[in-house]
Amino acid sequence: MINLQDIRDTARNMLAKNEVRGVIGYRRSTNGMLAEPVIITSPEQADELIWDPTCFHNLSLYLVEDRKFLAHTRAKSDKPIAIIAKGCDARSTVVLMQENYFERKDVYIIGASCEGTGVVDERKLARKGIVATNSAFDGDDFVFTTAQGEQRIPAREVMADRCLECREPFPKEHNIALGENKTGRQLEAPFTALKRFEELDPAARWEFWDRQFERCIRCFACRSVCPMCYCDECVVDSTSFPVTGQTTAEEKANRVRWVERSATRAENMTYHMTRVLHLAGRCVDCNECERVCPVNIPLRLLNNKMEREAREQFGYEPGASIGGPSLTASFLDTDPGKFIR
Amino acid sequence: MSEQQAETTTDYEPRIVAFLCKWCSSAGSDLAGVSRIQYPANATPITVPCTGSISPNYILSALKKGADGVLVSGCHIGDCHYIEGNFLARRKIHLVKELLGFVGVEQDRFRMSWVSAAEGAKYSQVIKDFVDDLRPLGPQTKVKADRS
Repeated sequence: MINLQDIRDTARNMLAKNEVRGVIGYRRSTNGMLAEPVIITSPEQADELIWDPTCFHNLSLYLVEDRKFLAHTRAKSDKPIAIIAKGCDARSTVVLMQENYFERKDVYIIGASCEGTGVVDERKLARKGIVATNSAFDGDDFVFTTAQGEQRIPAREVMADRCLECREPFPKEHNIALGENKTGRQLEAPFTALKRFEELDPAARWEFWDRQFERCIRCFACRSVCPMCYCDECVVDSTSFPVTGQTTAEEKANRVRWVERSATRAENMTYHMTRVLHLAGRCVDCNECERVCPVNIPLRLLNNKMEREAREQFGYEPGASIGGPSLTASFLDTDPGKFIR
Repeated sequence: MSEQQAETTTDYEPRIVAFLCKWCSSAGSDLAGVSRIQYPANATPITVPCTGSISPNYILSALKKGADGVLVSGCHIGDCHYIEGNFLARRKIHLVKELLGFVGVEQDRFRMSWVSAAEGAKYSQVIKDFVDDLRPLGPQTKVKADRS
């Protein structure tokens, strides 16, 4: 069990000693029991920090935001920023460093092990009809404070799918680590959900995805929440097309648009497939995209598919090491090539 | 020729977008031409500098714009003009192929081949096989954008 006081003390000390610019962590939100991300910059704020089963956000997104902010304001940072990282947050931070988005010295990782429990899935909780005001870890259970009193539920029942299949709940890359290392606890075999889906025949799979892509409203929440989607210009936006007085109507009409703006099935499909392929070998399965999706498109299946291909065909594990090669910029002589005529 | 065959051949001609490497397959298709090898005219060749330069976007875009099949053809492993371009392509294309299959697009709609500049006959065979495999599938409507 992680003692919340340890997290607060660590943050307070570092801020008091002026070792870091800020600490990215979680605080209580105004939305019931849920946590929300926060960046604290003074030692007094350290008591705002919390650590409970609703800390499901991937905080490495705010490392990206922070770096973008620094670049935008042309500020120099001589001090790192600290982040409270679960296993998945630490992995995505590693991927960002692997891609030289920032350097190892720019970030101070306060590792928080998910131990045996992981974090909750709001939707599973809602299905169980639990309306709580507070939540806490307790061994292999979650304890929720509801109007009827305390309710103890085995973590497995309301845990996010990705946590059930998590291979690395302990943040391997860290400056300090809190909590026990329970790597290898795996409550379910990896890719369980994917395997279940793949048993369908291609026609049924198409019917499923046809419906899903039809429903997408292209709000781009999945892109906004993804720490890996940090490109200044996204392939679907083409915002950097310069329109001047001399630009002719023909040039405007014929500019390259890989994905049109209209939220139709084909465009949505191209958008999602492009995103999935851009995330291949980079996605660490934090599943934020699926969580924020307002129409519940199971994006995790797509990302998992790529993750499993990378793992089984190319022996590639995303977020394994900072200095390692990336999936699509490296190759092995043993890569599968049987499909090529 | 049976009636059914005649019907399918007249009603539907598959359209193939072929991304050909400038250094080999493109020259291979040229060789097929100058050698007067007969092969179906269904493929629209697009010359690219290297198969490694092919973004998955090209493939998705071709399918979105109504291609019935997409062919990517490049140099044999070890023959890449840029040393490692086709190794990188092999990985990327594998992922694209798996993903298309995963969402339920027919696996036969997408193909990759290695055709060197000296293999005009092989190029014609690849196109022939591809067209034969595409015919029974009918027009591609899954990824194609509905512009009506």
